Amino acid sequence: MDARRIVCLKLILAIPCISALADTAVEGRVALPKSHSAPVQAKRYEIVTKGGVLSTQPPLAVVYLDGAFPRPASLPVKQVEQKDLTFVPALLPIQVGTKVEFPNLDDTYHNIFSYSPAKRFDLGRYRPDERPIPSEVFNTPGLVTLRCDIHEHMRGLILVLDTPYFVMTDTDGRFRLRGLPSGRYTLKAWTNSRTTREQPVELKNGETLHVDFQ
Amino acid sequence: MISASGPNKPKARSFRTKLLVAMMLVVSGLMALALYLAQRHVTAAARSNLQQNFQAELLSLDKMRELRNATLAERCGALASRPRIHAALEDNALDLLYPSAKDELRDLMETAQPSQAERFLRAKFYRFLDPVGEVISPPVPKDVGELSPKAEAQLTLERLPKTQQIGYILETPDATDEVVDEIVAVPIFSTETGDVISALVVGFKPFELIGKAAGAGMKSGIWLNGQLHMPSLSKSSQAALGSEIAKTITNSDRVQSNFRVNLDGAQQLLFYKRLNPTSLFPPAYEICVYPLADSVAQLHRLRWQIGSVGVLLLLGGFLASQFVAARLSLPVEKLAVDSEKDRAQRKRAEIALASTSEKLKRSTRYSADASHQLKSPVTVLRVGLEGLLHRDGFKPEIYEELSALLHHTHRLTGVIDDLLLLSRMDAGHIELDSKPVNLSQIIEEWLDDLGALPDSPEVKIEKQFPADLCIAGEKRYTSLIVQNLLENARKYNRPGGLIRVTAVRSNGEVVLTVGNTGHPIARDAQEHIFERFHRGGTGSHISGHGLGLNLARELARLHDGDLRLVRSEDDWTEFEARFLIAGQTYDGATQTT
Repeated sequence: MDARRIVCLKLILAIPCISALADTAVEGRVALPKSHSAPVQAKRYEIVTKGGVLSTQPPLAVVYLDGAFPRPASLPVKQVEQKDLTFVPALLPIQVGTKVEFPNLDDTYHNIFSYSPAKRFDLGRYRPDERPIPSEVFNTPGLVTLRCDIHEHMRGLILVLDTPYFVMTDTDGRFRLRGLPSGRYTLKAWTNSRTTREQPVELKNGETLHVDFQ
Repeated sequence: MISASGPNKPKARSFRTKLLVAMMLVVSGLMALALYLAQRHVTAAARSNLQQNFQAELLSLDKMRELRNATLAERCGALASRPRIHAALEDNALDLLYPSAKDELRDLMETAQPSQAERFLRAKFYRFLDPVGEVISPPVPKDVGELSPKAEAQLTLERLPKTQQIGYILETPDATDEVVDEIVAVPIFSTETGDVISALVVGFKPFELIGKAAGAGMKSGIWLNGQLHMPSLSKSSQAALGSEIAKTITNSDRVQSNFRVNLDGAQQLLFYKRLNPTSLFPPAYEICVYPLADSVAQLHRLRWQIGSVGVLLLLGGFLASQFVAARLSLPVEKLAVDSEKDRAQRKRAEIALASTSEKLKRSTRYSADASHQLKSPVTVLRVGLEGLLHRDGFKPEIYEELSALLHHTHRLTGVIDDLLLLSRMDAGHIELDSKPVNLSQIIEEWLDDLGALPDSPEVKIEKQFPADLCIAGEKRYTSLIVQNLLENARKYNRPGGLIRVTAVRSNGEVVLTVGNTGHPIARDAQEHIFERFHRGGTGSHISGHGLGLNLARELARLHDGDLRLVRSEDDWTEFEARFLIAGQTYDGATQTT
């Protein structure tokens, strides 16, 4: 309940600065590979590797507007929890400069590390009651693979983007990206570690553009 | 005897020499066979002995290697499950691979003082291969065992292996030194996909064969890329041996074998076995050279033993042969003398026979020629006389004279015919066309004719024979015999005498007896009556030419029978002719006709 109130508050606070762009949006559908696994809870998905390609299972996409946008002075802190020996969420898109906390919600040690070029870090072994919560700031755009040195099966992805405009599709691939600036941009859809589809878009003030990624 | 044994002495001696030579041949043949078999046995024994040793060594080596490789596989399995290794490989952070693996592989590397048991498990170096089989360069080579770029290049594989691969590389730590390292490439499988994502190549000091069973002379090494690495040999020997091995290995696709080599003037047996069959790395062979000095010495000893046994045997054989030859040569000598005598006798007999035969031939030819030559003038004469006899106008006494002359020409023709027949018989030109002949009938016919002859004295004829007495013969010759006997019986009879003709079957024969009264044949002439041109001392008033009996006997013998004088005394002369019964052969066996 508290969280929702905070979000509402934030939205209210944000209204004055984005009111001019309020009506501009992109919606559509990203064609996702069919999932053969049993349907899972809406919010629960995991990272799978197939032929060296990392993706979510069931498949999800991240749609974002590519372009050079001014970086805000401060960004909200995000969290990737370690719960039931998985990363939750398994895929987290963030804007460059975002600080991500990795709280340990299990009863065991975890050792989060990444060897990804976008971010190499090693949080070392820590217990659930570790305070402050171990965190990292992601300053380079790119895909960061999260692993646990103790639990080899654990995989998480953080997609570090240069843009504040991004959204995750639902399991059907549908998305709606609102509050966009008008102008010519490239709309991109990340579907796995190897594939990012893109389409040029021209956004007009107050209009909702329909874009499908095949 | 003394004169005969003189020239036979050398013969006996030569027989003895031959016996000795034969014995020597047999003994030396046996020796050669024994030597050959012994040599084969010794060589084969040495070979199989050394081969067993080699196999045993390699087996123990294989076991150690298996143990080590199993340990390595386990290590790599554990390594593959390390998230950091996966992260380094999958997240393109190869620079972090070696640091990530360092802790895991720390105990693999050689420590300063490894225990004896651990020595074979200690690696000299290790490297990872990337997904295309290339070596991933380590950031700090010191930590993972330094290698020259040339040596490191030898770790590369065409592709990542799915199974463990054993290989050998050549490392040159300094300009003069060469070291062969054994390398084991172990695949690292992704724990998620099961794909081979990398391979760990670990380098070891190769196992060395100890060769404790084969003695101190055994040398072992490794043949790799056409070169032999056997540190205990000189460079030149290694090169020479290496090229020899290369020739053998390229010529045969056998994984292991052995052959004889000559190393520094000494016989050696070289064994080779491929160390890494079916490996992706270049083939390498374990080479073992065993000195054959022991077996050569053994062979030498055996040769001496067999040689001396052979000499003893020969000596014994010589003595035995002397003894045996002495015993054997006596009868042999006698035999030689006898045979020499026999040969001389036979030669003489042969010469005599040849000359006799020649004479006989000549005389036969002569009488045949003479008969032919005589026949034509006699015929001319007779025809002339007959012509005159048919002419008229001569005085009666002339006709009488002519008739007498004609009679003589007929006699002459008879003599010539007989001579011709005899000469043909002598030449063996007459062959009897033997058929059953009715003897009784022939006798009857001739007895009838006897009465019809002119000047025949009055004689009484007694006959006693069965009606159908058949003999085996040819009718015209049988008839001649009968005619001869009956005519003689009449001719030499006295007036008012008797002729008795009997014929009986006896023991498969027919015995014909013709007896007559009259002056007997003189006792001293009896044995000559069957000779040619001999007349039994009778008066010349009796016609005849002295060929009849001879011809009759020859013909009887031609019939497989005979003719003989039974007796001639006291007014009684008796001849006996024997014939075979028709259907009987000479030996009396019954023929079925």
